[in-house]
Amino acid sequence: MSSAPYDAIVIGAGVSGLAAAAYAARAGKRVMVVEARNKVGGLCETARFGEHFRAPVAAHALYALDPRVVKDLALTRHGLAFAVRDMPSVGLRSDGKHIVLPRNLAAGTRSISIHSRADADAYGAFWRDLFALARAARTLWWEQSAGGERTREMLARLGYRSASAWLDSWFESDALKAMLAFDATAGGATPQEPGSALQLVWRAAQEMCGLQGAAAFPKGGPGALAEALLASAQAAGAEIRTGAPAKRIHANGAVAAVELASGETLACRAVLSSLSRRKTLLDLAGGVSTGFAEAAALARARPRVGAAKVLLALSAAPPFAGVSVPLAGRFVVCDQPGGLAAAHACARAGELPEDPAMEMVLPSAADPGFAPPGQHVLSVLVRPVPLVPVQGWPALKPKLVERVILALERHAAGLARHITAAEALTPSDIEYAYGADDELGGAATAARMLAPWASRVKCAIAGLYLCGASAEPLGAISGRAGRIAAVTLVAEQER
Amino acid sequence: MRYDACVIGAGADGLTAAVALARAGLKTIVIERNSQVGGRCSTREFHPGFRASPFCDELPSIPPPLYWSLGLAQRGVLFVPAPAMLVDRDGIAIRLSGDARRLLAEAAQLRQAALARAAAEAAKPPARRSFFSRPAPARPWPGEAWSERALSDLLGERVADSRAAALVSAVALCGRAADSSLAGSALNLLAPAMDGSGVPMGGLAALAAALEGAARGAGAEISCGLEVTDMRRNGGRIAGVGLADGTQIEARAVVSTLDMKRTFLSLFQWNELAPAVAKQAAGFRMGGGTARVLIALQSPPAQAPGPERFVYFVSGGQAESSAALSACQAGTIPEAPPAAVRLVSAGDPRLAPIGAATLTVTLGCIPFRLFDGAWTKEKRDVLQARALVAADAVMPGVGTRVLAAQVIAPPDFEDALGRSEGDLAGGDITPDQMFAMRPFVEPGGPPPPRTPVDGLYLAGPSSAAGPLGACVSGAVAATAVIADIGAGRLK
Repeated sequence: MSSAPYDAIVIGAGVSGLAAAAYAARAGKRVMVVEARNKVGGLCETARFGEHFRAPVAAHALYALDPRVVKDLALTRHGLAFAVRDMPSVGLRSDGKHIVLPRNLAAGTRSISIHSRADADAYGAFWRDLFALARAARTLWWEQSAGGERTREMLARLGYRSASAWLDSWFESDALKAMLAFDATAGGATPQEPGSALQLVWRAAQEMCGLQGAAAFPKGGPGALAEALLASAQAAGAEIRTGAPAKRIHANGAVAAVELASGETLACRAVLSSLSRRKTLLDLAGGVSTGFAEAAALARARPRVGAAKVLLALSAAPPFAGVSVPLAGRFVVCDQPGGLAAAHACARAGELPEDPAMEMVLPSAADPGFAPPGQHVLSVLVRPVPLVPVQGWPALKPKLVERVILALERHAAGLARHITAAEALTPSDIEYAYGADDELGGAATAARMLAPWASRVKCAIAGLYLCGASAEPLGAISGRAGRIAAVTLVAEQER
Repeated sequence: MRYDACVIGAGADGLTAAVALARAGLKTIVIERNSQVGGRCSTREFHPGFRASPFCDELPSIPPPLYWSLGLAQRGVLFVPAPAMLVDRDGIAIRLSGDARRLLAEAAQLRQAALARAAAEAAKPPARRSFFSRPAPARPWPGEAWSERALSDLLGERVADSRAAALVSAVALCGRAADSSLAGSALNLLAPAMDGSGVPMGGLAALAAALEGAARGAGAEISCGLEVTDMRRNGGRIAGVGLADGTQIEARAVVSTLDMKRTFLSLFQWNELAPAVAKQAAGFRMGGGTARVLIALQSPPAQAPGPERFVYFVSGGQAESSAALSACQAGTIPEAPPAAVRLVSAGDPRLAPIGAATLTVTLGCIPFRLFDGAWTKEKRDVLQARALVAADAVMPGVGTRVLAAQVIAPPDFEDALGRSEGDLAGGDITPDQMFAMRPFVEPGGPPPPRTPVDGLYLAGPSSAAGPLGACVSGAVAATAVIADIGAGRLK
């Protein structure tokens, strides 16, 4: 046991953990980060893939990074650069009539009008409405002020709505609705469930690279963001210890120490946990009273479905059918809005959906460093998939890859010929490798999305703060929860 | 001829509204398209000597104060309670457990609170809209706590026995196509198609006859066989209705008991409504998924798992109900749809000849539109066969006693009752519709059951109170009309 207790111990060196550590350290706190794996970054990881490729292992595009974190922690100075700052969204259609939605509204409208004239006309108004709502929602979501009464009321009203009903009230073409509805499944809900409309607002509220509602790809992949954060945290004086899984949080009224799996105990005055609320309170702080009601609720609230990742190495660019699409985009494969609900029901029943809904990114198109010239690496996020399939993941994994390739073949005939390597990461792999028991820190319900910050960041144990995805209204790689948790901690310690 | 109030539709809600309006001294007319009053409260002879209520056996309960104030007891409306039992595919029955009863009692309390709230809102005339008026902050709606709960989660948490939970789930979702594992499905507990209040003696037509008597006794005019085809307006305000035969009826207020879609999309010209209102009505989602099979039996079944007047819900577990739901969503008839089997003649011997019996089967998860075309004779025969399989699971050997059967497929509900997409509950039971659209709960807008069209009031299934209890939405709408006329808003 070291002599003087740390001001704060951060559990988990993912983006939010590193951001929290950097903020606390910059405020003059003595901070130690303990990370279970041998490297930092958590879900933001860029790794070797095959012999000549590199690939983003878990997260493959950033849409929520808080611009204030980038600025405050001087991440650009610590090496963060973006290969693509604004990836257009592409809704792939098997008939080749893809919908390409860049930020330029007029350009987006053109590709929608292939499907429906009326939708093309409505799209601009929808976009403005959504963005205005999103700007209003920010005050509630990440400015410490509670937001106006009207904002709260408006969002509560939207909290009852489902994304599909909301989109139905705007649009008529399945192609556009299915593509937009995919974003409402991030929290493990179906677009038919109440509260899923809020997820669309949440997404539109983000200011990636200062652009509202954009998605970006860092130079060097998401792993580069973790590197920059690490550099910033270390420059501020935070200590990092990898390969040191936390086993227990000791508390006696208030947090006293963190016990590592090695048996070593680190005394501290506060803990910032970037693990999920459930893991933190039930597993790490299990011996301490978190309150019966909360413990029971956490034990019950298992996520129902998960997401899987498939990486494919390609010897040539994917031959997408029909109109040409920008390769450095974010592709959404989802044919029918009703298909998401069917896939969700299938995944809940423990089966792999027949027709998987996917989001794809071609990192090599954004950053040539990811593949040898002329070749490509394709990163596919499949959602929803069963968390615990009936057959078990080892048996289902090859089938997952097969299904993904079959689905891709429909949109890019001949793609299968170009595949030189394939790898899959299932929800259980993600839990095993990253300790993320559910990809996004719990199901996104309207109650969670509308709860005030303090209820997500703090808990019943004094000195324990949550700074990870579960402290966000909807789990995302933003660093914002880290910033807010660290700022709260500093304010409370100095009071 | 000028009336104070015109009620469209002489169902339970419309007649209740007429009673309340006429009793308040308003000159009231009820206009009904069919040749008889009653709407879904009708009882017919579907085979010589065999009678049954074709559209439903039972309504959600009528709140006791309303029951007494309508004088239904004096008019001989007596309910025979019909407790629910669950029958598995292997024929074993189970009754509600104590914790399941407590949950249903809690749901009933929430429903009462919601109805009280609806009546209170209806009774206060809206302030004149001014530029500076701020909307009153909405108090939590009773039942809001369940708006994010999945029915299956709520049951898992509150009901220890999984089969008792399956029974509650079957009762709540009876005749609907809803997924009990989706967030918000717990609200189905607040709006059950039947809640054990029972079947009126003589069938539902007896209830309609009593309500008609009450309405006529109070001085309301009831004209059947006339169809309202459009709304007459004067300066943006309702001035009356136009009938199919060209007659015009002037009225200061119009209460529509049609559902939201039919009221706004078929009674108005396309350019008469504000675009936002038309859009909201068009976006209103209907649920439905009910079919009924009326069966005449030559002799009562030999054995039943419990007392004969009970309602038997036939369910084959989670896997079977999700298979039924996905079949319904795909537009096919499920192999084993959830069913409720009831020997109606056991509770009320007048519904069948002596020595014979009348059986009804209510099927759920039956698609309104089939993927391969219309509801033909063959498709109806499939429904009949499925219903007999369910009946056979409850009362073995029923199949050999069948004299005749009549199938009422989802489109028949629309044709006979005008319920859009065959939805008896007047819309999907989801939080957005229950809290934000039934109907037009807009910040700063007129409180329901008023609509954005001055002088038009919505009662019936799609109104806020509609699916929560029988007759209530009519009473609520009448309260609003009386309050507004009293406040001088309707000249």
